[in-house]
Amino acid sequence: MSFIYLNKNKKTTYTFNFPGKYTVFFNNISGDYKFLIKSKGVDLDILGIIVGKNDNIFNIKTDQIHDAPKSKSNLLVKGILYDKSKFIFRGLIKIEKTGQKTKAYQKNQNLLMSKDAFVDTKPYLEILADDVYCTHGSTTGKIDKDSLYYLNTRSIENKKAEGLIIRGFLNEVLVILKQVASQQEYLLIQKEVINNL
Amino acid sequence: MANRKNLNFKQKYGFSMPKSYLFRAKKGLNKQIVESISKMKGEPSWMLEYRLKSLEIFFKKEMPKWGADLSKIDFDDIYYYIKPMESQAKSWKDLPKEIRNTYDRLGIPKAEKDFLAGVNAQYDSEVVYESVNKHLEKLGVIFCDMDTALKKYPDIVKEYFGTLIPAHDNKFAALNSAVWSGGSFVYVPKGVDVKMPLQAYFRINSDKFGQFERTLIIAEEGSNVHYVEGCTAPVYTSNSLHSAVVEIFVKKGAKVRYTTVQNWSSNVYNLVTKRAKAEENSIMEWIDCNIGSCVTMKYPSIYLNGKGARGEVLSLAYAAKGQHQDAGAKVFHFAPNTSSRIISKSISRDGGRTSYRGLVQVRPGAVDSTVFVSCDALILDEKSRSDTYPTMLVKESDTHIQHEATVEKLGEDKLFYMMSRGLDRYESESLLVNGFIEPITKEIPLEYSVEMNRLIKLEMTGSVG
Repeated sequence: MSFIYLNKNKKTTYTFNFPGKYTVFFNNISGDYKFLIKSKGVDLDILGIIVGKNDNIFNIKTDQIHDAPKSKSNLLVKGILYDKSKFIFRGLIKIEKTGQKTKAYQKNQNLLMSKDAFVDTKPYLEILADDVYCTHGSTTGKIDKDSLYYLNTRSIENKKAEGLIIRGFLNEVLVILKQVASQQEYLLIQKEVINNL
Repeated sequence: MANRKNLNFKQKYGFSMPKSYLFRAKKGLNKQIVESISKMKGEPSWMLEYRLKSLEIFFKKEMPKWGADLSKIDFDDIYYYIKPMESQAKSWKDLPKEIRNTYDRLGIPKAEKDFLAGVNAQYDSEVVYESVNKHLEKLGVIFCDMDTALKKYPDIVKEYFGTLIPAHDNKFAALNSAVWSGGSFVYVPKGVDVKMPLQAYFRINSDKFGQFERTLIIAEEGSNVHYVEGCTAPVYTSNSLHSAVVEIFVKKGAKVRYTTVQNWSSNVYNLVTKRAKAEENSIMEWIDCNIGSCVTMKYPSIYLNGKGARGEVLSLAYAAKGQHQDAGAKVFHFAPNTSSRIISKSISRDGGRTSYRGLVQVRPGAVDSTVFVSCDALILDEKSRSDTYPTMLVKESDTHIQHEATVEKLGEDKLFYMMSRGLDRYESESLLVNGFIEPITKEIPLEYSVEMNRLIKLEMTGSVG
């Protein structure tokens, strides 16, 4: 099992030549990242959290390139956008002819916390092999009114309720990190993410 | 599969009728040709000016740098206007025999007898047959070809023509604006509900001839209309270009559904611009089935301009050997409470490539709008390819946007189950494929969905060899 924290690395291309479980995480960065899967039996999780404030602009490109059979990659990027922040995401799953029996997933979910926030999301797929299963999904919206209302009826005021919902939204990523990162790393990441909010 | 022979599509539609022309413009494109097209048609001067302006824009515009490979199109090797021998015939019997034969094989008269409101058939670039049901006339609905509309209803045409898709929209819209010919004109007055679908069959029947029809649909307040275009074209040896422009105006509370079954022969470049503007509480639906052509680039779009407007695009693409279907949808949310739904299903087989390319924009102020996009793709063999290129630009927080896509092959378990029930592999495959596209085929008129199911079945069995 190995864990790569993109913020601490200068590399933008990562090649996976051996089977195994890998987890990649990034937090509030921009860049063009390539993940090349060149071995069967790779199980790759790519996780990302973006918290935009003021006039922050985050521009991320990710390529999940499967050049070997029987591997799996799973991307999950969560964005929370306040103020006039912008998030531009282009994700690509590319399955080469050599990538038979691949499973690849891609998910981008965004919470718009302000009227002036802007999201541009492009979850792309390019599939050249036939025996594969690939899905992608993206959702963008603001905090669910019904959830807020429910918490209000439990006498939790708006601001606190919002915080709870956001924590829940991010937990999907944090739970996986807790399993793969060292305790020291995890606490550091958790602190960074919460400070950003 | 005893009736497999009857389903031989090539035998049924793959023929080329003898051609005789009254007038055929020289190959290639220049000012003189555009002027002579306009002169032949006896058009008002504003239209000639519009054509010439569009031609300049066409020469200036660059080819799109994205999407399918269009490098093989030679604009100098195309006839831009052909006037067939016969002009407007009043009834079915007045049509020349060869044209009647063509349509007989397509099964139009029967369909017409059954439940068609009117057949507006296009043979080469001029509409030669047009029958409008008396019922339609009584309702005040205008359904004719575009050239007639320009003569009989110049005011309406001038008010709307080119306002939704201006010539500078893209290179092919400019080309169409310069050399357009034929196409349908539909005007539905306030509150009129046209119960039967209006149909037009288009055919390219001349080698190297590009068809540039222009369609304009105006649905006044509270009206309802369903327009259907189906295409079948004979097989040719050299490239043909089809570049249409369709503009639709859906007024307050009106509903328009536009169904296309595109089955051009495998040498046709199908590059079409389609756009609809939906006003308050109106509904616009595109049902777009792309089966034929070598390259299709078509993204029906909807501008949701009025409060509570709804847009829907159902897109079906099938690509076999040598085909690239680059289809999709575009929806722009400009007003509050607007909603849109895009469903795309694509199948690629035998080296074919399907691409879904879509754009959804939510502009500031389009509060409480919802977007749902779903694209599913089936890849039937290892030579084929499938791409998904969705783009979502969200500039309003009070919205709900969802997108999902899957790409997969036919389930071995499902195939095994059906084969254990005594079906052979190919029957099982075509059943599964027909099941996969059912959400779209069930939305199109019966005779088309029957034809579509047969076509898919036929294309599937074709692979047996």
